[in-house]
Amino acid sequence: MNKTLYTCGLVLVMGVALISMPGCSKKSVQSGGDSQSAQGMAKGGSSDGSRSGVGSFPDTGVQSGGGGLRGLDKNPSEERVGSGTMLAKVDPSSSAGRQDEFRAEAGLLDVFFAYDSWTISEEERQSLNRNAEWIKSNPSTLVKVEGHCDERGTSAYNLVLGEKRAKAARNYLVELGVGAQRLSVVSYGKERPSCNEHAESCYQQNRRAHLVVKTGK
Amino acid sequence: MTQGKLISVWLGGVLLIAGLVGILESGAADVFLEATRPDFQKISLGVAGIQNGGGPDWLGGRIEEVLKKDVKRSLVFDLVDLPSLGIKTSDIGNGKGTGSKAVFKQAAEKGVSVLVWGKAGLKEAEKDADVNMEGFVYDSGSDEVVGGKRYAGSPSVVRLMAHRFADELVFRYTGEPGIARTKIAYVAEQGKARELFVMDYDGHDARQLTADGFLNLMPQWSPDRRFLVFTAYRNRNTQDIDMIELATGKRWTLISLGGLNITPALSPDGNFLAFASSHEGNSELYRLDTRTKALQRLTVNPSGDLSPSWSPNGRELVFVSDRGGGPQLFLMGSDGSNVRRLTFDGDYNAAPVWSPRGNWIAYVCRTQKEYKLCVISPDGQKRMQLTTGPGVDDSPSWSPDGRHLVFSSTADGKSHIYMIDADGKDIERLTFEGTHNSAPSWSPAS
Repeated sequence: MNKTLYTCGLVLVMGVALISMPGCSKKSVQSGGDSQSAQGMAKGGSSDGSRSGVGSFPDTGVQSGGGGLRGLDKNPSEERVGSGTMLAKVDPSSSAGRQDEFRAEAGLLDVFFAYDSWTISEEERQSLNRNAEWIKSNPSTLVKVEGHCDERGTSAYNLVLGEKRAKAARNYLVELGVGAQRLSVVSYGKERPSCNEHAESCYQQNRRAHLVVKTGK
Repeated sequence: MTQGKLISVWLGGVLLIAGLVGILESGAADVFLEATRPDFQKISLGVAGIQNGGGPDWLGGRIEEVLKKDVKRSLVFDLVDLPSLGIKTSDIGNGKGTGSKAVFKQAAEKGVSVLVWGKAGLKEAEKDADVNMEGFVYDSGSDEVVGGKRYAGSPSVVRLMAHRFADELVFRYTGEPGIARTKIAYVAEQGKARELFVMDYDGHDARQLTADGFLNLMPQWSPDRRFLVFTAYRNRNTQDIDMIELATGKRWTLISLGGLNITPALSPDGNFLAFASSHEGNSELYRLDTRTKALQRLTVNPSGDLSPSWSPNGRELVFVSDRGGGPQLFLMGSDGSNVRRLTFDGDYNAAPVWSPRGNWIAYVCRTQKEYKLCVISPDGQKRMQLTTGPGVDDSPSWSPDGRHLVFSSTADGKSHIYMIDADGKDIERLTFEGTHNSAPSWSPAS
């Protein structure tokens, strides 16, 4: 059992590696940003068949109802009540987070957005112009564009909004001549705010595309 | 008797018989008792105390406290205060003597339908201490002690004994399993990381499930309660959908297609996983057959589509799309057919969840710049705002009996988890620790 899972894990890790590598080159072909679904539509809208990037599923259907309740009894026999938990113990120290290979860079400016918006204003384009210059003059670096949102709105929709912001910034950098293969995007939605107050001054700082870098090969 | 009356009597008889047959045939789970209606008549129930059966004095009191709160939260019973009705609860004894007969008579006269009492003791055993609890039920309608339960277990399961007994009471009077033993999965901030936790439905006994030091978001239960599916950032660069087994803590990646893979939702029969993915460009909805691994794209649209939630019969999905500008709720068949817009009030409606009874969809609505909870009927005809005031309400999730919602809110400053009745009454705060608790998901009933 353990061995099977271990093997599954290995296959998964390899699968992730395989997917993330061509993922970069795929992104370099696409430059349409939020209208990229045109490519998906050309495919006909559905892609049947099993594929990589999908892990193993256990059967999660409900086997029996009744909830383990036996009803009241005039002469009740003793029911042993279990440990009160179905939860495994997690050792918080066992899997400390991996360090992000990407780091903040003083030469790169955050790009800020209006409420609900992923449009890059004229003013913010100046920041991206400077970022493009920095990236071009540091050709050995790879850049990750993180999309962030303020705390208002739902967690789920803010992940989509954050991706739109990150892609808008990425696409503008590509327009300025930065090689798309050097740029990746990730959305953190409202889950990694830089500021935690419930105030517009703070919300402004959180609605941003934040650029981080690592040295490529 | 006119013909019309005759027909109605005849019809009533048929319906009554059909109803009885339905209950007998379908078993407990399918009995439809609409206890969320405003005119629903709750069953009056009094707890006459959990006496000391040998052991520390706090034991009976603790069980009684948990039991009373469960009874109240069930929304099936109306918890009555017996002493204030002049009923001397200590006379109930073991429920067999003349004293108890007098208490039963008093209760019946005062309109108390159900009387509950019990006894709890703690014995030091060879290995671990052992707790014993007995609970009995008197029904004034039939004027008899209809039965009881006897539980044994370690001191760590005292609360669970009370929960179990409460669920038996709900089961006895509604045929439904009750919610006192359900759990709530949620996300708690740990430094800059967000990890998954699970707690009892009343906010007690929180336990940490993940510890990878980064972001683990928006957990959802499998129908059999054994697993959670959620969004994770395995390598910090792509959002995958992971699964974790609660009993073992084993965790693996289900969906790693590249891009944003979020808002997973297993179908009620567990055969399909609906989720949003941006691996083909922008965020679209997909449906994965969990047995064949066939992946079907459900939406084709240049806008963002996300947050699918299944109808209880698995035939339809409600989801969010910003194809009209701001996010709105849409409905479609679970194969992507027959898409139509559901919400037209306001410019921001998101995070929909279909009630287990099918009659409501709860979601986050933006009104006067605040994010509040709303419910709408699937036909769009009825709409109601459940919460008011300042703060961001997010991530509503239904109790399996459809009588409550759990959600996160910043109403008290930091984000915490709250429970609210489905009619918007009685908000109860469930979490008090930590810097940020969010994304609650209510487990199915066991």
